[in-house]
Amino acid sequence: MNNKNPNICFYFQVHQPYRLRDIRYTEIGHSRHEDYFDHQKNHDIFRKVAEKCYLPANALMLKMLKNHPEFRISYSISGVFLDQCEEYGKDVLDSFRALADTGQVEFMAETYYHSLSALHSLPEFCEQVSMQANKINELFGQYPRIFRNTELIFTNEIAHIARLMGFRGILAEGADHILQGRSPNDPYIPPNFYLPDENYWNVINKQFPDSVPDKNIYVLLKNYRLSDDVAFRFSDKSWIGFPLTAETFTDWLLENHGHNINLFMDYETFGEHQWADTGIFSFLEQLPIVWEKRGIKTLTPSEIIDEWENRIGTNTREQEDKATKEATSMISALSSLWKRPKDTNTPLGKFEVEKEFNAHTPVSWADTERDLSAWSGNEIQKAALNAIYELEHAVKASNDPELIKTWRRLQTSDHFYYMCTKYWSDGDVHKYFSPYDSPYEAYRRFSHAIHDIKLRLNTHSSVSNS
Amino acid sequence: MSLRSLMFGWEYPPIHLGGLGVACQGLVRGLLRNGIDISLVLPHPNPQAAQELDIIAPTPEELERIIVTSNLKPYDSVEEYAHRIRAIESHEENQIYGEDLAQEIENYTAMSIDLTKNVEADVIHCHDWMTYEAGIRASAHHKKPLVAHIHATELDRTHFHPNPWIYEKEKRGFLHADNIIAVSNYTKEILTGHYGINPNKITVVHNGNNKTTAELGGALRTEYRQKRGPMILFLGRLTVQKGPNQFLDMAAQVHKYRPDVHFVMAGDGHMLGELIHKTHALGLQDNVIFAGKVSNTEAQKLFAQAECFVMPSLSEPFGLVALEAVAEGTPVVLSNQSGVGEVMNHALKVDFWDTAKMADCVLTILRENVLGSQLRSEASHILKTLTWENQAKQVRSLYHKILDRC
Repeated sequence: MNNKNPNICFYFQVHQPYRLRDIRYTEIGHSRHEDYFDHQKNHDIFRKVAEKCYLPANALMLKMLKNHPEFRISYSISGVFLDQCEEYGKDVLDSFRALADTGQVEFMAETYYHSLSALHSLPEFCEQVSMQANKINELFGQYPRIFRNTELIFTNEIAHIARLMGFRGILAEGADHILQGRSPNDPYIPPNFYLPDENYWNVINKQFPDSVPDKNIYVLLKNYRLSDDVAFRFSDKSWIGFPLTAETFTDWLLENHGHNINLFMDYETFGEHQWADTGIFSFLEQLPIVWEKRGIKTLTPSEIIDEWENRIGTNTREQEDKATKEATSMISALSSLWKRPKDTNTPLGKFEVEKEFNAHTPVSWADTERDLSAWSGNEIQKAALNAIYELEHAVKASNDPELIKTWRRLQTSDHFYYMCTKYWSDGDVHKYFSPYDSPYEAYRRFSHAIHDIKLRLNTHSSVSNS
Repeated sequence: MSLRSLMFGWEYPPIHLGGLGVACQGLVRGLLRNGIDISLVLPHPNPQAAQELDIIAPTPEELERIIVTSNLKPYDSVEEYAHRIRAIESHEENQIYGEDLAQEIENYTAMSIDLTKNVEADVIHCHDWMTYEAGIRASAHHKKPLVAHIHATELDRTHFHPNPWIYEKEKRGFLHADNIIAVSNYTKEILTGHYGINPNKITVVHNGNNKTTAELGGALRTEYRQKRGPMILFLGRLTVQKGPNQFLDMAAQVHKYRPDVHFVMAGDGHMLGELIHKTHALGLQDNVIFAGKVSNTEAQKLFAQAECFVMPSLSEPFGLVALEAVAEGTPVVLSNQSGVGEVMNHALKVDFWDTAKMADCVLTILRENVLGSQLRSEASHILKTLTWENQAKQVRSLYHKILDRC
């Protein structure tokens, strides 16, 4: 076994939003079932992508996992995708369960509604992560240990919230402006960060009562160059790497040093963004064969962290953990984790040697900016985000499960992405991925839904008052 | 030696009549800035008055103006010309206008050719069907390539019920031209689909504009809103093509939810009577104001007062008026059947027949201030790139291309 070779960590994002139908002003206050979604379109897109990507890709993955017992992959699947599986594709769900049954696949946690709640409401964020983690556990028989936030949106604060939820790892974009020339190919840790008040823990603990947080959380960084070679450039005939073979790609991987190379991408890369006739499936199928020959291991995110801990030695910390777990008052023991200690020179032990990934401001995997501008870069996006989260208290107070679900489906980040105008004139990816004619059409539909919810809430409160 | 274009164009109208004169003026200025010399032939009923036409030319060398005594107006139909010429004849004795439109065009063509026979041109460029015959003959006389510029087809003007004689005149121009400039892909498709023109000889050059940013700003809008309530604007000739009926249908649906809203219809045309009638039938007489023909300054003020400008055209080759709205910071709702939509992303777009959705867009703009403010701030970026200087550069390249080929 060649220990110098980096390990490969494959993670695929699986998600479909509930797209809005052509809601009209005249319907506001009159629509019967709070039904703002275009079921026909959502069904058709789900089936189209299922036939082109989910079913053939899962079949291939299953074959690869069976042929190569050492092969590992991981997924993050949004709750709304799993909802759509129940509505439009039990066959797709079954094919993911077959992958889970191999024991070679890790499933991660994310927000159930693929939302931006991490940036807008801590209680809502915690509820959505908890819902999704439980759903994964129920469907695939494993409770997630690693967290990946919507669109890889990451801040130091989100990392520590995920840590307090009990996750031992979190994914992030290996963004150049944060790495500053350092390699993305080792696990990082966020800076020691003290959440502003104790209430955080109370909110988190409400949804994660069994959480036993570690002192730190590992950040696994996407190697965007190598990931995008597959996800974006694979079929680009003007690209110097075209046509890309498994051998060449492996050569490129081996030019990298470090503990792990994280290849993170949308699952729709296989068959939908890169069509089958580009050769993407046969490329994929070759990878474990070539890697086995050349002594490259694949690991799940949890295994990456296990091996890393073995490598740097964490015996001391494990003992500490044990002591922590035995503490009579969990809350008081944990309070040291968010309160700034008086002695700021608290030794960090083994963690001192680790590299810090410090994101004061949000970093994501979107566009060249790697920031939030794809979802909240313009006025209509900001207005739409404010409008949806302003309703949180009233929607939850209604205790109407259907209304709460609808409100949450409106939080899906895609709704705000469709309103993006920053590259609108260039006819770029935002246009390609939008089901609507324009960002303004996206806003028109969304704002009607918001106003309809508001009217419903008025009806609710007048009913309960009387 | 610089290149000279012999251009059969239209004057810049003192009143807000339509886009053709505006486009010709913009293109002429843009070409001059790109180093093209122009001999410009303009029909005008009164050659003396025509000397004061609003065209800024550096020297007579670069822009030579040739005024042809003619009563042609670019938006005349056969019937309208006949009607107009009868009115003139009864008042004025010594006019020499043609008895009908065909005769008047023949007069104009013969006189234009005679006046320009000694011009040393490299390329002939004519604008819309009334000038095509002059273009064809000039091209034959000078043995120079012909560029036919199409700003609006007979099919646009008549909602696809053309006068066959005009249709044939247009087609003849297209077939004789070495290259055709269409003001949009929308128009290019009409030419290939309905006139059977080879797409390879059609070049799309969108119209430009001379504005840079909003001039009057939002103060007028706030003032108007406080005094009379929010206002929605229509500005265009009251003809089938411009969709005034659709505007009123939209207005009726908005009125149901927002009785405080006013609708201003600026422009005139032969449909005025029936539109007034329809306004009463819809019970909108207190909410719709017919403003008649407006001057450019008045148009600017109306744009600045409006919450949004609606252009519900049934078939609009370009729609320069939408750029004027943007220049005044007015959010725009466009019909999908318009060429300007190809270059204007920051607008709401609907099919002209879907007046329910048109009303929905207007209601959304009225309710969501943020939508209006974003459309206002983002739409104006296009004015910086879509200038006449840039668009004329494309025309210059086309001249060079066809001259190389000859």
